[in-house]
Amino acid sequence: MGSGLYSIGISGMNAAQLGLVTTEHNISNATTPGYNRQRIIQTTNIPIMTGAGAVGQGTSVLTIERLYSKFLAGQVDRAQSGVSEYKAFYNEIAQIDNMLADPNSGLSPALQEFFSAAQQVAANPASISARQSMISTAQTLVARYEGLEGRLSELADGVNGQISVIVDNINSFSRQIAELNQRIVITESSVQQPANDLRDQRDLLISELNKLVRVQVNEERDGSYNVFIGTGQQLVVGTQVQEMKAIASAEDISTIVIGLKAPNGTIVELPEGLISGGEIGGLLRFRSEALNPAFNELGRIAASMALTFNAQHALGQDLLGQATGQGSFQNNFFTISSPVVLANANNTSTADVQAAFVNPPPVKGHYSLNNTAGVYTLTRLADGQQWSGATLAAVQGALPAGEGIDVTGATVAPGNTVRLVNAEAQSANYYTNLTDSDYRLTFVGGNYTLTRLNDNQTWSAASLAALSDLVDNSEGFTLNLASGAFAAGDSFLIQPTRQIARNLGINTNIASDPRLLAAGMPVRSNIGLSNTGNAVVSNVRTLPGYAPAATALPFTLTYAGGNLSGFPVGANVTVTAGGTTTTYSGGTVPYNPASGAKISINGIAFDLSGTPNTGDAFTIERNAGGTADGRNILALGKLQTQKTVAGGTANFQDAYAQLVSDNGNLTRQVEVTGKAQQALYEQANNRREELSGVNLDEEAANLIRYQQAYQAAAKMLEVGTKLFDTILALG
Amino acid sequence: MRVSSNQIFDTGTLGVTRNQGDLFKLQNQLSTGRRVLTPADDPVASAQALITSQSQNINAQHLEAQGNAKTQLASIEGQLDSLVDLLQNVRERTVQAANSTLTPEDRQAIATELQARLEGLTALANAQDGRGEYLFSGFKGDTRPFAIDPLTNAMGYFGDSGERLLQVDTSRQMPASVAGDDLFMRIKNGNGTFQVQTGDNFLTPGQINQGTAKMDAGSVTDVVRWQAAMANAGIWSNPANAGDLRIVFSVVGANTTYQIYDNSVPGAPVALLAAPGNFTSGQAISLQKTTAPAVDFGANVVIDGMPADGDSFVVSQSSNQSMFDTMRSLIGALTTPISGTAYTRTEFYNEMSREMVNIDQALENVSRVRSTIGSRLRDVDSLNEVAQDNGLQLSSRLSELQDLDYAKAISDFTKKQLQLEAAQASFAKTSQLSLFNYL
Repeated sequence: MGSGLYSIGISGMNAAQLGLVTTEHNISNATTPGYNRQRIIQTTNIPIMTGAGAVGQGTSVLTIERLYSKFLAGQVDRAQSGVSEYKAFYNEIAQIDNMLADPNSGLSPALQEFFSAAQQVAANPASISARQSMISTAQTLVARYEGLEGRLSELADGVNGQISVIVDNINSFSRQIAELNQRIVITESSVQQPANDLRDQRDLLISELNKLVRVQVNEERDGSYNVFIGTGQQLVVGTQVQEMKAIASAEDISTIVIGLKAPNGTIVELPEGLISGGEIGGLLRFRSEALNPAFNELGRIAASMALTFNAQHALGQDLLGQATGQGSFQNNFFTISSPVVLANANNTSTADVQAAFVNPPPVKGHYSLNNTAGVYTLTRLADGQQWSGATLAAVQGALPAGEGIDVTGATVAPGNTVRLVNAEAQSANYYTNLTDSDYRLTFVGGNYTLTRLNDNQTWSAASLAALSDLVDNSEGFTLNLASGAFAAGDSFLIQPTRQIARNLGINTNIASDPRLLAAGMPVRSNIGLSNTGNAVVSNVRTLPGYAPAATALPFTLTYAGGNLSGFPVGANVTVTAGGTTTTYSGGTVPYNPASGAKISINGIAFDLSGTPNTGDAFTIERNAGGTADGRNILALGKLQTQKTVAGGTANFQDAYAQLVSDNGNLTRQVEVTGKAQQALYEQANNRREELSGVNLDEEAANLIRYQQAYQAAAKMLEVGTKLFDTILALG
Repeated sequence: MRVSSNQIFDTGTLGVTRNQGDLFKLQNQLSTGRRVLTPADDPVASAQALITSQSQNINAQHLEAQGNAKTQLASIEGQLDSLVDLLQNVRERTVQAANSTLTPEDRQAIATELQARLEGLTALANAQDGRGEYLFSGFKGDTRPFAIDPLTNAMGYFGDSGERLLQVDTSRQMPASVAGDDLFMRIKNGNGTFQVQTGDNFLTPGQINQGTAKMDAGSVTDVVRWQAAMANAGIWSNPANAGDLRIVFSVVGANTTYQIYDNSVPGAPVALLAAPGNFTSGQAISLQKTTAPAVDFGANVVIDGMPADGDSFVVSQSSNQSMFDTMRSLIGALTTPISGTAYTRTEFYNEMSREMVNIDQALENVSRVRSTIGSRLRDVDSLNEVAQDNGLQLSSRLSELQDLDYAKAISDFTKKQLQLEAAQASFAKTSQLSLFNYL
């Protein structure tokens, strides 16, 4: 009986002591990250069955459990992974956002200054200082493109660097988890009790890992964790760690991607789609959703600007009186690099594919008419649409109503191509069809396939040349094989606009001699001094396709009896009068004073209006000495507001504003979603804290509770001693 | 609900930092005056602001081009004013010179003065602007537009018909120059439709008219008939010279009659009147063909004074005669000696009046060009007003898109401040509560 009292008392004291220790443990770890509060699970000892009933045998502590819910912890981890993802995304994209926002450092002011300076040249075409100042603003503009691109490149480098660091951290966490797996298995199997604090540490590591990349965890029977990413790619299995590697992408070696080291040592590149969540997920999404589009869009604006500006510039005449093909005339104002083609590192062949920009097509209304072996083909240059026929009448018949051009009177020698223009085309210049997407060229099963990566549109052909013909109009670039031969499975990444902003420059000849800026037009009209009618030739200008050699200048048109004679024989003259465009074959062309006419011939266009008298003459001649002529610079200036980008749907500023607004929208979306994720995390964390967090007041109460229990149990020993003394006193 | 101690601290600090973040942003907005700090704050407004700022910039370009156009046009207008003065002066001298009582010395003095005027005219036509560019040379800014052409020994034009354009509005390119050929060279002589000159005496070839008949410039009474007659190839011996007529007088005693000949083949006149018409001084001679097919040319010429037998006047369609040629022929007429006979004075008078008409044509041409310049200047002014309005609108649009509504921002700021203070105070209180305080 007495020993029962002692043992029960001691069991109470032991239990209370464990309770106290556990409470102390809770209190001291109240702020330890990842700590889950613990409590003792106390139970009654097995009673001794006696005749008087079951005699209680005191208490014992079954185990010390941690208050941990796998479910709640999983929720917190997932939310945490989302928070980290959006935070990383936001931190990066906010930098682009800030860069674009700055009213002084953005593209817009430099673009505007450049075009303002062009108008200054238009006001004083002969002024060297006005020309010089336009070239200076062009240099500023080019530097601005370069600066913006440079900032984006820094971000790209930053992302590459961060990925490498994070991959190292992930590997370090994986190793620690594997180590803890081992310790937990050993510890738990030896005492058959949960290794609470080790598990806390391991769960903390899982939580930290989720900050870097979203992982899935499952627990083995022996208590070890298996950790996976993506769709089941293992990071940790028991004590085995599969290492991640930051490697250069086979497709584009300037991009760092993530690979997994297989047990045999080879590194397998993980598709980016498999990796989500955490900082890495945020960085990868930033790169593909914000950074690459920004690179490409900026490059597209730069490329469209340079290509259309150059195309119009080539139609002009410089201050020395030279036009395209003559003397030191410079066709291009801007220098622009070619589209980037990157051969996949895994290619087995040495095929060297090169891409080039197509010359920007002129706006609607420009046609080329070709005669090949008796088949006439009319091509609308704006979009490459073609109509063919065995005769010109057949071609005319194939044209849709309202196309606004009559080719039946044209002359094309077999094997030749001529340029035709209707009046609609005569007011504006060029545009480009470049997109802001990258492309992938693959060679599989004898077929060449080009995939536009932002929408997965594909084109296939049996030869690279045929493929190039398929896409040159719609995508704005051509492909050709510079050397080598393709091998099956070859793949190439084509980035048409990616590096344009970086490599844009100004023609050094023009930069060093501003007189070479083509501000004037190479043709002009002279109205005969003895003309007595009131007809005037106005708006003489060159059109896309103009070549000085194609038309002998000057030629003089003479009016008599409703006809204009003197057009170069054999040249195709398109005349738009009263809304219809008709093509004549040189020589004599009818003219109706009532409607006037817009006339074009070999890339020279002019308007004739008013009533000529018989014998009135109009001369179209070279603009020799035309130093006060600013017509081409006016046409160049108009590019500022013309729809030149994205297939003729936006001007430069529109496209830039679109970039700013797209990026702004994305930034806002990331910010808002990030806040939502944060709220989700807080909610999940609160629920977890409710269960697992230490409440110091509660622990204070427990301290008192176990203290009192201990005191009471100790009192029991005293009672037992007294009882024993009583018995001893009897003896 | 069970709350962990960490939660109390976490929630407290979170509330404080969140409010601080909001306050920071408001403070940033207040200090910059901008509602949209980065495009993410309002992506649509940011894009709109960029587009609006470009419109603003283009508007400024137009304003500048308008300023340039105005300066250049005003300078041309000044030149045209001088030109009008010069021509008026020439006209007065011509009127004076036509006065038959002038002595040869007087006429020589006038000729000398006109020679100086011609030099003035040449200088004016070759005027240069401040940058040394010729004003009236078309695109050929560096080419002297007017000089004596050695081939014709007349004043030639070496510029072109180009007009220098400025982009004064999005859809409007305005010529800010006048080509010299249009202003100085392409001026129709005579009445603008046809010109009347004295012919030779028909009876004594090589001799000038022997009578005292003076012609006027003639007038077109019916343009449609005139044009139809000129285009009617069937009635002319040589349609290329349609309109070449010769009016020949014949005097038989007191009876003076006239016949009109088709003169389109020189030296082979074809009579157009079925019967010669009777002439009295001051009569308007109607130009017509009465032989079959009869055609009325819709024009007449008034002849004053008495022609001698065989005197003739020649009519031809107007051609272009430059101001320089007009003045040179005036000077030529003035420096040609006149004998005392009445008919030489008549011939001189007829010459003077013919060139006077041409001076008037020149004046008319200048005033035509001047009114074009004037209307361009008015256009520039009205475009300028529009552009300035536009500029204001664009500024206010930009401000709407970007700028801060201070009243709202300040009220938000006060609200947030209150929230932050509440969060701080409540956190301070809650965090002090602990059971350990009582143990």
